Amino acid sequence: MNNRLKVLRAERDWSQQDLGDKLGVSRQSVNAIEKGRYDPSLPLAFKIADVFGLAIEEIFQREGAEQ
Amino acid sequence: MSENADKSAAVMGRSPAFWGALMGVSYAALGGLAMAGAIEGTALLILMLVPMVIMVPLIKSANRRVDAGGNACFAKGEAQKRYLKRVAISTSIYMLAMAGLVFTENAEGIADTWRILAAIPPGLAIIGVFWAIGRLIVEEQDEFIRMLVVRQSLIATAITLSIASVWGFLEIADAVPHADAYWWAVLWFAGLGIGAVSNRMKYGAWGAV
Repeated sequence: MNNRLKVLRAERDWSQQDLGDKLGVSRQSVNAIEKGRYDPSLPLAFKIADVFGLAIEEIFQREGAEQ
Repeated sequence: MSENADKSAAVMGRSPAFWGALMGVSYAALGGLAMAGAIEGTALLILMLVPMVIMVPLIKSANRRVDAGGNACFAKGEAQKRYLKRVAISTSIYMLAMAGLVFTENAEGIADTWRILAAIPPGLAIIGVFWAIGRLIVEEQDEFIRMLVVRQSLIATAITLSIASVWGFLEIADAVPHADAYWWAVLWFAGLGIGAVSNRMKYGAWGAV
């Protein structure tokens, strides 16, 4: 699964730790999701969407889907 | 900040990685010496305290890193602090229990009942560590870290049960010496280390155990 987490985070000038604190997860978790090494659960994906004020599909895309 | 965190994480000038590696090396050395027959009996029981004692500075340095929010591949969280505390308590109880066991085994003319009673606490202390890992899995709120711990435990279990199965049959054929059952717990803890390395390679983080 692809995601725009890094771009969205950079736009807001947040560090991985900042985003982790907002989500209640570790910096390692944010790093793993950002790099596509770990796909978050649906509840965490909703939480991420809420933090950015976007819909899930505006952040996460299927592998090979157009950005 | 990470530099400060790393500095504060150090205990006696060493990082958690150093103490972890030292503990691994001491486990390996003990296993090798025991298999070669160089040490046995009471001497082995006493020397088994060495890696457990090394766990104390390891836990202290890891705990400080957790508090400092260092940039290591070590997540911070309340569940992990509780886990480290529980492991430290279990380790302390283990050391006391081992001292009691060694004393009993060295005492002359002691009744079998007392020997059995002295042999129970070390095992219970080890169960305390298993319980601490179980509680960590239940209490950890970070799903990624929880997944890493579960993965680490499964890898350790797969390695231990595989080697124990093969070893047991080889014992029947007199191809290998008899291994006391507590070695499987030791191997499982070493397997956690292999699981952590596997986590690091696949997910970029060691895990929490």
